[in-house]
Amino acid sequence: MSDLTLGALYGIATLVIMFSGLPIAFALGVVATGFMYFCMPPSSLDTITQNVYEEMASITLLSIPLFILKGAAIGKSPAGKDLYSAIHTWMHKIPGGLGIANVFACALFAAMAGSSPATCSAIGSAGIPEMRKRGYSPGFAAGIIAAGGTLGILLPPSITMILYAVAAEQSLGRLFLAGIGPGILLVVLFAGYAVYRARKEYQLALQVYNQGGAKSAYLEDEHFTLAQKVEMLPRVLPFIILLIGVMVALYGGFATPSETAGLGALLAMLLLAVIYGVWRPSELSPILSSSIKESTMLLLIIGMSLFYSYVMSYLHISQSAAAWVVSLHLSKWLLLAVILLMVIVFGFFLPPVSIILMTAPIILPPLKDAGFDLIWFGIVMTVVMEMGLIHPPVGLNIFVIKNIAPDIPLKDVVWGVFPFLLLMLLAVVLLCFFPAIATGLPDLIMGAK
Amino acid sequence: MALLATINRGLMRLSMIALVLTAVILTYSVVSRYFFQAPTDWQDEASVFMLVGVTFFCTAYVQSQRGHIGIEAIAGLLPPRVNAARLLLVDLVSALFCCFFAWKSWTLFHEAYVDGQTTSSTFAPPLWIPYGMMALGMSLLSLQLVLQTLARITNKAATERAA
Amino acid sequence: QNTALKISHQFPGGTINEGDFRDRLTRMFAAEVEKRSKGSLKFEIYPGSSLMKTNAQFSAMRKGALDLSLVPLSYAGGEVPEVNIGLMPGLVTSYEQAYGWKNAEVGKELNRILNEKGIVLISWIWQAGGMASRTKPVIDPEDAKGMKIRGGSREMDLILKAAGAAVVSLPSNEIYAAMQTGAMEAALTSSTSLISFRLEEVSKALTTGRAGAYWFMFEPLMMSKAVFDRLSKEQQATILAVGAELEIFAQNAAKADDAEVANVYSKAKAKVVDLNPAALKKWQAIARTTAWKDYGERNENCARLLKLAEKTL
Ligand code: NA
Ligand code: NA
Repeated sequence: MSDLTLGALYGIATLVIMFSGLPIAFALGVVATGFMYFCMPPSSLDTITQNVYEEMASITLLSIPLFILKGAAIGKSPAGKDLYSAIHTWMHKIPGGLGIANVFACALFAAMAGSSPATCSAIGSAGIPEMRKRGYSPGFAAGIIAAGGTLGILLPPSITMILYAVAAEQSLGRLFLAGIGPGILLVVLFAGYAVYRARKEYQLALQVYNQGGAKSAYLEDEHFTLAQKVEMLPRVLPFIILLIGVMVALYGGFATPSETAGLGALLAMLLLAVIYGVWRPSELSPILSSSIKESTMLLLIIGMSLFYSYVMSYLHISQSAAAWVVSLHLSKWLLLAVILLMVIVFGFFLPPVSIILMTAPIILPPLKDAGFDLIWFGIVMTVVMEMGLIHPPVGLNIFVIKNIAPDIPLKDVVWGVFPFLLLMLLAVVLLCFFPAIATGLPDLIMGAK
Repeated sequence: MALLATINRGLMRLSMIALVLTAVILTYSVVSRYFFQAPTDWQDEASVFMLVGVTFFCTAYVQSQRGHIGIEAIAGLLPPRVNAARLLLVDLVSALFCCFFAWKSWTLFHEAYVDGQTTSSTFAPPLWIPYGMMALGMSLLSLQLVLQTLARITNKAATERAA
Repeated sequence: QNTALKISHQFPGGTINEGDFRDRLTRMFAAEVEKRSKGSLKFEIYPGSSLMKTNAQFSAMRKGALDLSLVPLSYAGGEVPEVNIGLMPGLVTSYEQAYGWKNAEVGKELNRILNEKGIVLISWIWQAGGMASRTKPVIDPEDAKGMKIRGGSREMDLILKAAGAAVVSLPSNEIYAAMQTGAMEAALTSSTSLISFRLEEVSKALTTGRAGAYWFMFEPLMMSKAVFDRLSKEQQATILAVGAELEIFAQNAAKADDAEVANVYSKAKAKVVDLNPAALKKWQAIARTTAWKDYGERNENCARLLKLAEKTL
């Protein structure tokens, strides 16, 4: 059997088992173990648990629970409600104002966290309920957060960019800087869409109401005096303190990135205790237990998907697919298109970290030979991998949403993120026509290459 | 079932403490380096161990609330009887996989314990600690899944009798 | 079905002619063995830990789940304490001494111990390292006093602590960010990694290993004994012969990287300095009472290996 046939079987088996409804983590484990049993040396079975442990025992990965805790401390407490009330007071005149606020919040958090699910969870736990309360449709609210959360790996710091920089032998500083322009581009695109969609939903709600239907929260006409607006400002303070505190710790050289995760979580809890008087175990326990539940679910999926990708790598599936693409000797832009398509397909099943580890060594040399700037390509690839985080079947951010807002049907979430997928695709096209969106900033600061 | 629920709740409480403690440890390492010029070299590994513990200790609890997410897209398309059989099969396969994983975790734990394996850092804590937590957590998860599978079978029998 | 032997390593992947020399070495090894065995042995190379995590490789080889790996031996120090000798500060100070180990008593003893643990040494590769710093160059132990330094291994951390440094522990993929922000002021690692981590962008000084170093790391190409034993006598001989022949390439390439790292850092306007023999002696004296002592007290094997290694000084 050729590697590619085996690869097709692996993909089909994964789809069948996943759609059978087996929990994602176990489904990945079952497929990997099955193929290991039939196609790999028997002794491999003895290494499964150590592999999963080694993959998980990284402080970078394990900072996820702490980032989630930080988000939950804000999101599941009065602090989050206050923040959203304040933003709403100031932005309610702008259609989609709250949606924009959520996109911005995701971007700000992404600048502190290195992973996307963490960003998604932190902002979503307060953002989704608040948006729905103001009349946003569930799919739209989920879409904003799922897509906004993907900025976690595009805006520095980013775990996947670190891996890419090492694999591509490119400057990490340059790569980090290159992510900022496209990050802002996506923020603008997402925010623009939020305005458009909110307007449309508003019109629809108005129509329903005028025809004697229910009055949506969209239509609540509120007015705030300037005094009221100013009065709301101090409520944003805890969030600002947290943001600045973590930024100073990280960029001021006081803490390593993993220490920042702990520091941020503790700071968030301290602020809760001091400002809102939330400190009793009974009050903290819902925040802690929801953080733990979410991160347990997520880490088990990540651990198993890394094991899954180990089997895929051992069977040479991803490598053969990449080598096959290279062997086609395509023209420059066709090569890029095919490689990106491949990254998208891998994105169906694998998290960004695995995609980079398995394909970078094979796809980078031909891209370099074809004359592509590898910094630029790293950014394009990151945006494409962000898409993988929000499309099924394995879209980590979708699972986070599913956990934050279990009552939103998966179908609504998937349809909700769809427009954002198109926007990301648009960003990729824009990056191809205007590479300076990515390379401009690093060239400006660090000098042209 | 009740006993397992109690164990799960206890482990959840323990994990909450561990999560906060991890945040404290990481913060302490920053504070101690900057204000007391006394760097710590154990904070990362201590955190890793605690968080591995949190993850595996709570996985059974998460399962008890059906918190391990799957794709339920076809649930609505199937006739109820077939769907019930599917759900039973899903639980059964999950249980089998987790039993296998738990068994392999215990062998890993045993190996690390007998050989006295440690991590290769300066701090060098023994590896049987995280392996043990993984094995225990996966065993509880397996037990949880087996109980849930049995519950499905007995429930099904009960519904059929009622019908 | 696929019968190619799998070679895994953690270094950036390239081609047989270009890139990290450790990756190139595995590719040269694969090509040459395939040629000489007339295609009866084939290889697949997995660079950049794309098959499994760096730390899982040694154990997987022992169990026969991985065929070959090029990995710093001391990474397995938690599993097999004896192998910590592969990165013992000041115990090896020159390439001549390092490459002499294979045929010295210490090499034979290390080989025996690894065989017992299920590992066959194929190619003996040594590499020198140095220290990149975002402030001043660290030459003498006194220079390290009060600085936040990442030693990268238990033994290196021990001597840095004894020199009065504040030892920082963090994963290698965070080194760059930590150096940039100042959470860490200096990092001790191989010349090749000093280049591939791009630390010159965030460094003001570099201490090279060109003129002798207390940081010498043993990172051999190894094979699972279970897999090795399954091969024919001829195939085994081919593998060992090619492995031995590549040691010359490894030594030259490692030396070239020591020179290259100096180039890269001086181009980035960092102050480049070498260790002098007097400073080397001082570091060695510290190591003797800290890291060596700590190692020698682990078990009988360790004590014996240390004694044999000291003979090569
Ligand atoms: Na980020
Ligand atoms: Na996906």
